[in-house]
Amino acid sequence: MTRTDEELVARSRSGDVDSFNQLIVRWERPIFALAYRVLGREEDARDVCQDTFLRAYRALPGFKGQAKFSSWLYRIALNLCRDWIRRQQRAPVSQMPEDVDPAALLAETEPAESIEDLVARRELSAIVADAMRSLSEEQRTAIILKEYHGMTFQEIADMQGCPLSTVKTRLYQGLSQLRRQLERRGQGMPQLVKRT
Amino acid sequence: MSETFECGDTGALVAYMYEECEPEIREVIATHLKRCEACSSEIDGLSWTRGRLQAWVPPMPELRFQMSVPAPEPRLPWWRAPLPAWAQAVAALLIFGVGLSVGLARRPPTVPSQASSSQPAAVTIDTASQTDLSDLEQRLRAEMAQMRSTAATPVRQVSASDDDIMKKVEALVAQSEERQRREFTLRSVEMAREFETQRRIDMATVRETVGQFQGAAGTEIRQQREAIDRINNFIRVSQQAR
Repeated sequence: MTRTDEELVARSRSGDVDSFNQLIVRWERPIFALAYRVLGREEDARDVCQDTFLRAYRALPGFKGQAKFSSWLYRIALNLCRDWIRRQQRAPVSQMPEDVDPAALLAETEPAESIEDLVARRELSAIVADAMRSLSEEQRTAIILKEYHGMTFQEIADMQGCPLSTVKTRLYQGLSQLRRQLERRGQGMPQLVKRT
Repeated sequence: MSETFECGDTGALVAYMYEECEPEIREVIATHLKRCEACSSEIDGLSWTRGRLQAWVPPMPELRFQMSVPAPEPRLPWWRAPLPAWAQAVAALLIFGVGLSVGLARRPPTVPSQASSSQPAAVTIDTASQTDLSDLEQRLRAEMAQMRSTAATPVRQVSASDDDIMKKVEALVAQSEERQRREFTLRSVEMAREFETQRRIDMATVRETVGQFQGAAGTEIRQQREAIDRINNFIRVSQQAR
């Protein structure tokens, strides 16, 4: 029987560590992905992810359930990412291996996907990651929360502590900037040509 | 949200694209997009960019974080629980104090200084202790003599059974053990007494030697003073003669 986040949180608050470990299993991948996309480095993302759950566990007695557990967790992770960026004082660097291991590529290949397609997908992933670096931290975070974590405008506004309209503006400006960056890297949108 | 839409309202277009606007506004925007190439192109561009974003896949390392809380230590009963540091310190001080007072109480009286005496110092022996040792020695000797006489008594030859013989053998063995124990105790008492006597003699000898040294030093000082007096007299007499 699968328990809801709220049930697991209630059990965790009463001292059941196993329940909290179930929450970790459920949320460690999304939190890691968020940290990775914001920070751009796997090791840093791993550290932030671990720290997020540690802080969440310590702060659990103060969590009254006024927000969703996942939103609360995302907020902790984003605060840690922000601290991390300020502390490191460096632009997020996307970590992409330069030399490609064919065996690793084969292991990643989706069904009905050729090696060529996989290589192209990884190249595009690197280009997108690189283009995301050109955005401001606020724009990047808004896009990440919206595109990869499916949050609503209001949730992002709560998370970022800004008005709803600001979230829309950040999304629009971020996507427009991203489009220009992709076009600059040879990934422009195919144009429709009128038939004569 | 107002039900009106103005061309070029990027916020409304973003809300339309993400399907987060009111149904009425959605209808209005959809109608507008059919006839406005600029807004339609904007929406196409944003959607295409969103499509590109899906290619950005983070690595999938094995995380397996787990929270582990150390098991609480079993609660010990109060009499087995370790004492706090301050209680241990108090206990140590108490033991030290008791030991110190017992040691002072049992300390032998100090021998008066006889440094100036030329006679050897009298050996003062702790009378009570010496008497105790002598009494104990005499008692042990008497008991041992009694045991020897008992052991020397011939055993009457009777037609005894195996059990009787075994009992007699056990009795003899017990007597032998008892005798050995008493002899050992006696030897220990003798050694203790000899050690104590020797210690006191050594102490007296040391005191005597120190006194002799001090006496010799006094004699030398006295002789030096006499020589100085003679020289002074000689100087005074020679000055008067001039």
